[in-house]
Amino acid sequence: MNLGTRKLLDQSFTALGIGSIVIMGMMLLVVLVPILTNGISANVFKGTIEHRRMQYNEFHRGDRDALQREISEAAATRKTAYDMMSTFEAELNQMDEVKQAEYRDKYNQVKDAVKSLLGPKPGDELPELTRFRYGQTRWEKAQERLREVLYEKKWDYSNPDIAAKEYLVSRAESFQGTSLVKLFPYVETNIDRMLLPKWTIYWGFIFDSSIDSHIFGGIWPEIQGTMFLAIGAMLFAFPLGVIAAIYFTEYAREGFFNSLLRSANSTLAGVPSIVFGLFGLAFFINTLKVSESKSVIAGSLTLAIMILPTIIRSAEEAILAVPKTYREASLGLGSTKWNTIVTVILPAALPGILTGGVISLGRAAGETAPIIFTAAVSVGSAIGLADVFNSPTPALSWNIYNLASEHEAASEIRHVQYGMVLALVTIVLLLNLTAIILRARISKKLKG
Amino acid sequence: MNGEDSVATGRSSAFVVTAKKRKIQQITRKIGESALFLVAATVAIIVIFIFFFVARDAVPFFEIRGFREFFTSSDWYPADDPPRFGAWAIIYGSLMVTAGSALIAVPMGIAAAICLSDVIPFSVRQYVKPVIEMLAAIPSVAFGFFALVILAPLLQNYGGPILMWTWWIIASPFLLLAVIVLSELVSMSIQDDKHRKIAQRMYVSFFGLIALILLFFVGNNLQKIEIMTGTNALNVSIILSFMALPTIVSVSEDALQAVGRDLREGSYALGATRAETIIKIILPAASSGILAAVILGIMRSLGETMVVWMASGNASHIPDPWFNYLESVRTLTATIAGDMGEADQVTGSARFHVLFAMGLLLLVISFISNFISERIVVRQRKILSGQ
Repeated sequence: MNLGTRKLLDQSFTALGIGSIVIMGMMLLVVLVPILTNGISANVFKGTIEHRRMQYNEFHRGDRDALQREISEAAATRKTAYDMMSTFEAELNQMDEVKQAEYRDKYNQVKDAVKSLLGPKPGDELPELTRFRYGQTRWEKAQERLREVLYEKKWDYSNPDIAAKEYLVSRAESFQGTSLVKLFPYVETNIDRMLLPKWTIYWGFIFDSSIDSHIFGGIWPEIQGTMFLAIGAMLFAFPLGVIAAIYFTEYAREGFFNSLLRSANSTLAGVPSIVFGLFGLAFFINTLKVSESKSVIAGSLTLAIMILPTIIRSAEEAILAVPKTYREASLGLGSTKWNTIVTVILPAALPGILTGGVISLGRAAGETAPIIFTAAVSVGSAIGLADVFNSPTPALSWNIYNLASEHEAASEIRHVQYGMVLALVTIVLLLNLTAIILRARISKKLKG
Repeated sequence: MNGEDSVATGRSSAFVVTAKKRKIQQITRKIGESALFLVAATVAIIVIFIFFFVARDAVPFFEIRGFREFFTSSDWYPADDPPRFGAWAIIYGSLMVTAGSALIAVPMGIAAAICLSDVIPFSVRQYVKPVIEMLAAIPSVAFGFFALVILAPLLQNYGGPILMWTWWIIASPFLLLAVIVLSELVSMSIQDDKHRKIAQRMYVSFFGLIALILLFFVGNNLQKIEIMTGTNALNVSIILSFMALPTIVSVSEDALQAVGRDLREGSYALGATRAETIIKIILPAASSGILAAVILGIMRSLGETMVVWMASGNASHIPDPWFNYLESVRTLTATIAGDMGEADQVTGSARFHVLFAMGLLLLVISFISNFISERIVVRQRKILSGQ
């Protein structure tokens, strides 16, 4: 091959490497950016009058008089629409049977759509479930619902070779010739006066407990549960891991037994997380019976086992990174080995040990599989500190799964899911950032 | 700890040490050390316990149902009467998404590791490493959510065009390179300079035409594909590969760093380019370490639960044809996570124990591969240190 081609190959090889690093960076952005933007929209959004009404009724927040004024303002606009509907209802009862059958179904659809947009009609009985007591609390959801009021969704099955296509039929057209026809343009033009959207910053999303399984309210029980589980895991794993690391670095002699312990450590690091969950169920709950069934303590213990190898490894590395001169100086001054470890080596290695601890804390907070069988519950309120020994808790990681794949209205509460993912990712990445900064400071210090 | 106190008091009466005191010191040191040893040994005890307790609940399943059905049949109807526990399709699903993720992650990971250790200057590397660490830190459930809520609808609605563009972006630079290198190789035998240049141009246009036809033909066929469901093996493989990448990159970078400067400098001195040095000298020297990295990365994919549970579709069947990555699959981890809720009420039944049998299978695979990768790393270290 001539030199030109060899150079070209060399450059393309470099490009391949840089390309894969760039793809990794882009993947990080592709994952994080939608989580960030959509997650923030759980806290900052255009809230409607229904949101403020819900806040006042459920959490006793907001100014009563101002709210009352707004409600009466919206009700005045709404009344015209309700009047149109009752006029049509009267008209419907007058019609002959064939026409009645034709319109009854369509009218019920309109009625349901309006109800889900604006909430139950004044004077109607309040529904049992909180989610049906209010109209759309978020403006973008309200606009989706408005489309449902205005258009009927239909599916086109005419071509059997491809998947059915969706198309929209204007409801105004299907009610042509009846009195209801005026309703649709009226609702379309006056929707903002019916719902009074306003930019809202809803900090309660983080600090409120959820209402009616996350349809309204916040995610505090999940955040608290995640903190309990992660901190509990650290309480067990951190001391154990640091002591084990001290043994491995300072006392262990090379030999069969020691290498066995080391490979046990790396085996533990490689065990799939779901197997930890099975072990936690079989050992902590079914055998040791640390609690009747799922509990925070069982989950913490399981997570502790999972993060133990990481803590041991990072603590080992930190201890080994302490310069030999420190140790020799201390021993030379006549202090014993244990004294040297406690007063000289551990303080010098502390930032490194903490780095590993912080990363493990993040891992314990983010992991889902080990707590499925041992600690997590899908619906629940925040638990007190005294309940950790006998009651399960909701946790961010588990509830993200649960809301996204098992919740009956999963696609209705995407903003809550995004908000939870953002909260979890923020917790984990902030912990990691702390670790990165800590490490940078250590390397600066070691360089002098 | 009793040992610490006595050691501490031993210090205060510094220089004169009586025989009795020394004996006490020795005993307390022994006690302290064995206490430390006991703590360190908990790691081993935990590993033994994990094997024991998972196996204890897995064995009853094999006692009731035997081995044959579990490993050979693919009828997974644990709730039927009589229940059927054929897990072959589930095992196959696990293997399939793992292989798919390895296919993406291994070349990318090794390329990135080489780039990090040999190409990028140190000042840039400082900023790349946190990116990889962050990718490793993102919780699996966040990746699963991304796969389910963003990637799956994208694949379902724009599957064909996405596949086509991916093919174009990946294949065109490689094909271009292949055309140039091939024409160079073919025309190498011609001695005369002028003739060789003409022949080379002809070969370039000939191979280029073939490459273009290939590019368009495959691209067009890919564009026609309609993906029926976005929660499929492809989706999961993509996400899993990005979860396995940080492991592969960091472990193989360590292996590449361990090769040392002298081999590199020797190769450069002989006139090799950087690519030739890396491919012919450094990669062979670091190959076992990289293999260990690949094994660890693959294990990460195989053991991952949340992503596959949320985004694989959870359909227990073998895709048709067997390599069809556009169909839903079901994996071992997702089955354990998903079925335990229903099985839990009937603790003690085959339905409960079969999940432990799957866990035991995962555990054994992870143990073996961990053992292998560790042996490999130890061997490489011995070879490189010249023993």
